[in-house]
Amino acid sequence: MSLDTLTTAETPEGIALSLRPAGLVPRVLAFAADFGIRVVMFFALSALLGLGGGLGAGLQLMMYFLLEWFYPVVFELALAGATPGKRMLGLRVVMDSGLPVTPAASIIRNLLRAADFMPLLYGFGLLAMLWRPDFKRLGDMAAGTLVVHAGSVELHGALPDAPPRAPARPLALREQAAIVNWAMRGQRLTPARFDELAVLARSAIDAGAGAPDATQRLLGVAHWLLGRRGDAAR
Amino acid sequence: MTPLQFEAAYTPLWDELQAMLDRVEGARPRQKKDQPADKKARTKVKPAPIDGARLSVLYRRACEHLALAQARAYPIGLTQRLEQLTHRAHQLIYRRHEPGFGIGRLRRLLLVDIPQSVRAHRGYLLVAALLFIVPTLLVGWACWRDPGFILHLMDAQQVRNFDQMYGPGADPIGKPRSAETDWQMFGYYIQHNIGIGFQCFAAGLFGGIGSAFFLVFNGLQGGAVGGYLTARGHGEAFYSFIVTHSAFELTAIVMSGAAGLRLGHALIAPGRRTRLEALRHASSHAIVVMYGVIAFLLIAAAVEAFWSSARWVEPQVKYGVGAACWALVIAYLGWQGRPRRAADEKGPDAG
Repeated sequence: MSLDTLTTAETPEGIALSLRPAGLVPRVLAFAADFGIRVVMFFALSALLGLGGGLGAGLQLMMYFLLEWFYPVVFELALAGATPGKRMLGLRVVMDSGLPVTPAASIIRNLLRAADFMPLLYGFGLLAMLWRPDFKRLGDMAAGTLVVHAGSVELHGALPDAPPRAPARPLALREQAAIVNWAMRGQRLTPARFDELAVLARSAIDAGAGAPDATQRLLGVAHWLLGRRGDAAR
Repeated sequence: MTPLQFEAAYTPLWDELQAMLDRVEGARPRQKKDQPADKKARTKVKPAPIDGARLSVLYRRACEHLALAQARAYPIGLTQRLEQLTHRAHQLIYRRHEPGFGIGRLRRLLLVDIPQSVRAHRGYLLVAALLFIVPTLLVGWACWRDPGFILHLMDAQQVRNFDQMYGPGADPIGKPRSAETDWQMFGYYIQHNIGIGFQCFAAGLFGGIGSAFFLVFNGLQGGAVGGYLTARGHGEAFYSFIVTHSAFELTAIVMSGAAGLRLGHALIAPGRRTRLEALRHASSHAIVVMYGVIAFLLIAAAVEAFWSSARWVEPQVKYGVGAACWALVIAYLGWQGRPRRAADEKGPDAG
């Protein structure tokens, strides 16, 4: 668990929601995508306005201002906490509590972008993100926001079939969880690795070091732990 | 209880919760699309009426089940499903139910929140104003005594530009400008001046040093130009140009500096909070001042583009309007939004 960069937000009900903060690379990519979109928007609209002489030039400058400072604010508030670039990479801006970002927080984090930008090219922002386990830039710290991956990761699937069998010895909770989770990852692991892991857990099954059916037996234990009791039980 | 029994016993509850969440969340994006019709956006949640009491009951049950599942090390698939359900329900239940940026909210912001929040920052305002005014006066005096002093701060080309702009020479700033140029300058002032205000605020994050730098720097520049032009005898052209919009612009620069200093102060002297907590607290209050800065700088940009540059207006009229604007700004920041006498006791402490 400690390898993961999860942060938890406690709810009033006393449960911990786990949020997955997005690291440097997806956020830089999202920024690049947004930057591209902004450039395209600017030139497309300028082409329309540029014909208008002084008035057009004035509107163009205003548009530049709005795109520079309020593009992220508008999208973060309108589109469920994500600019188009963030949406492309599956990111979202949320409050530290896991709730949707508030208008004030969105404005704070985007005005303080200017501080992140210093001394040049988002130097302080990048440093702050590399420094912290939750990848906050300065604006995020002041606003109390977090950029998280919106989707969840599905690593675990259905258990492969096996006849249930009781474990060879009483298992601690952590061991039980490890065995069941191992079994649920059967679809994603290569068979060789799957077998290798099963041999490591051989103390849970009464088998010697070289038992050929360690995997099957351990799968049986996993089924047994989930509560299946077949007639094949020991 | 084995995981399978647990799942079998409570799946109906979870399914019900999930169906409820799907209905509410599914209803919203569809509504979003016809948002231009404002009335439809208002009735956002109504098309899918759900039983709030039932929702909260289901949510609490799901929370209990999640806690049990985690404590008993049930399989990850099960806890993940419960985590997702509780996460979604939590978002739905604890979402802020305020109507965003409606007219009423804007009204309250302008009439109450901004002036109150500015007054709550009066200490920072004082420091920011001193940081701005003292260099202005010192350099202004130095340049007035010896116009050559300005060359310590600007290069000769810039100084020549100022001479041209405000002098009686060929290209005075107030020459009859077309409306088109006015618009162009309006855009420029918005883009440039509000950007500076934002930077002045953001730079305060570094212990307030950045905000102080912006304040002193702008003070030096303004003082130098003012002192120099006065000494050269172009005073009237210059002061009648700046007197009106400076009421909004200079106040806004000082306000953004004060907001920035507040951030810096929170970091340096967090008091009884952690530094991060203090910063978060300070920025949530300072941002209201920044709303005021935005409003002021928008006004300043409009005034500077369309009024200050109008040469056909007599300087005396401009001084009069300028004085009225200064009085207006000070009265707004000083008295607007104070609670009535009866409510004085529990006057909100925006600081």
